[in-house]
Amino acid sequence: MEEQPINRRIWSGLWGYRESFLIISGFFIAGILLGYFQDKEISVIKWPINLYFGLVLILIILIFGVFLRNSSTFRWLSGNKNAISSISFYLVLIILLGLIPQKQEYSEDLLYRLGFSHILSSHFFLFAQVYLLLSLGATIIRKFNKINLKNIAFFINHFGLWLTLFAIGLGAGDLKKVKMEINKVNPVFEGIYDNGETTGDLGLAIQLIKFNIDFYPPKAYLIGAETGEILNQHEFISLKEKEDGIIDKWVIKVDKYLDYAVGIKEKFHPVYETGAVPAAYIIAKNSETGQVLSGWISCGSFRFPGNFLELSEDQLLVMADPEAKSYKSEIKIYTKEGEVFESELTVGKPVSVNGWKIYQTSYDTEKGRWSEISIVELVKDPWLWVVYSGLIMMVLGAIYLIITGKRKQ
Amino acid sequence: MIIIGLWGLAIILLSYDVLREFFYKRETKIMKLIYQFLAIAGFGLMVFYTVSLWIELERPPMRTTGETRLWFSIFVLIISFIIFKTWKYKVLLGGGLFFSILFLIINFTNPEALNKTMAPVLQSDWFIPHVIVYMLSYAILGMSWFVAVLALIPKIKSNWKGKEFTIADNLVYIGFGFLTLGLVFGAFWAKEAWGHYWTWDPKETWAMITWMAYLLYIHYRLKHKEDTNKALWILVIAFILLIICWFGINYLAEGTNSVHTYSN
Repeated sequence: MEEQPINRRIWSGLWGYRESFLIISGFFIAGILLGYFQDKEISVIKWPINLYFGLVLILIILIFGVFLRNSSTFRWLSGNKNAISSISFYLVLIILLGLIPQKQEYSEDLLYRLGFSHILSSHFFLFAQVYLLLSLGATIIRKFNKINLKNIAFFINHFGLWLTLFAIGLGAGDLKKVKMEINKVNPVFEGIYDNGETTGDLGLAIQLIKFNIDFYPPKAYLIGAETGEILNQHEFISLKEKEDGIIDKWVIKVDKYLDYAVGIKEKFHPVYETGAVPAAYIIAKNSETGQVLSGWISCGSFRFPGNFLELSEDQLLVMADPEAKSYKSEIKIYTKEGEVFESELTVGKPVSVNGWKIYQTSYDTEKGRWSEISIVELVKDPWLWVVYSGLIMMVLGAIYLIITGKRKQ
Repeated sequence: MIIIGLWGLAIILLSYDVLREFFYKRETKIMKLIYQFLAIAGFGLMVFYTVSLWIELERPPMRTTGETRLWFSIFVLIISFIIFKTWKYKVLLGGGLFFSILFLIINFTNPEALNKTMAPVLQSDWFIPHVIVYMLSYAILGMSWFVAVLALIPKIKSNWKGKEFTIADNLVYIGFGFLTLGLVFGAFWAKEAWGHYWTWDPKETWAMITWMAYLLYIHYRLKHKEDTNKALWILVIAFILLIICWFGINYLAEGTNSVHTYSN
């Protein structure tokens, strides 16, 4: 790489940082102005527009790389200085993304109008991504005629990143996410998109057969009577029968634990009924004064009230809502084609039907273990395999980096 | 808690030996053996503690901030020991010990509840690989930060005669490799759990910032080999961005709703 004379005139000879800076800041300012005057965000492009856009991008890179190889523009675009510039530009924007609170909805304030509080849907961020793809693409095509076993790692790393950015960027518009609330009474055949619109008939219907949820044993904490805030943050008792522990100066013993109970006048009895609550009979002894207090505590439910134990004027022992350990839904799926089958949906293990992947995402947290419904999300991602290919290449490239470190490349 | 104190002591003794050696400028075989032995002993204690914590919590101890600091301490000790064996710079072993003890002390002064709960989404095969690979990269890149900081001091730089870049570059390449694995594993996991690879939540945003910063360092070094000062500063700042990613988001306003905010 020959170095340019220090007094090289701009736009002449081999381009460098000055040209990168001018081009990038030019588009950056143009992006801000476009966003400000256009008064809306860029709309996401969908099939087949995204395909055309992608092909045009690839075409530009190929034309440069094949026919204009020796032009100073191409040498600059594919060179390291421009790589540093394009990475820096993207980096600056995502640092802003990390520091400036972002707004999801349109707002009249200046920060929004300029694009800085909705960076992900701003013109200049779009430009930064396209610029990165062009520069990176040029870099790859430049070394393409010299591909061999030794520099295969260079290609895997660079092309892997390129493919991932390409597919995620272009494929975003084709990604469909549908939220569905399924119940035991009727099969549900439609849901809501991210933006709140209903989907209409999806060509498949889902019915909840059974919802299973497992909780960790509930915990008891000491809270301030006035503030309601947890005192002694890191001390708690797991409520299991015969369990004991210490919070502050109280020795707490779980004398009795009922998983399903209903309370009458602060006394709890084992009852298995919808809305039944977990309850624990506590014996608390003050290790300083020797005072012994006892009573039932319960977190209550949507149907029945809970209870707490007053240990002192400003210390209350309460049972926190139990935390979910695992939950899953047994579902029945009906397809437009007439298929009917049952399946089980767990968090992290989606079920595939008709191009959709169904994910278990939530449930009626107010009713907790008595949830009558299950909340699932259906996702269609046609560009999935392109993204996966890119990501897998990045994994292989990373492993190469780990094994070889920085040898002479 | 006692165990933390015990091995904290072991490591302190260790670093004392290293420093004493450093100042006396003369090496005695016995000194060398002692502090290496102490380093390994301290390491052994830490591994023992982590394993017993894993058993007691009935889940991998990787969910809370303090737990990740534990892994950082362990890995940083291994990495600095390897660097010490490879390149013979005692100050780097000292640096690793310093980091290790520092994070153990932070843990000691910020006790956490020994909470056995783990949200359903964390009960995935990806949990352990994702966290381990990230903590390994943090440890490696942390050592590179230490090298950069030292190399910015003119007296030390002249002693090292350019070797600091051999070490730093190697650490960054390897650390960056693990960082990339962490990023990609996270994307695979997210896809399995929610159907989206990337949501730009605060943690992911800062993880990408960290990744890009080290990417910048790598490319800067390739083009501007002679401009060592700028490169070292990029390295110093990159690690600060990494720390923001690791801890900072817990303090940012938007962080509270992120799936990545360490629950205590």
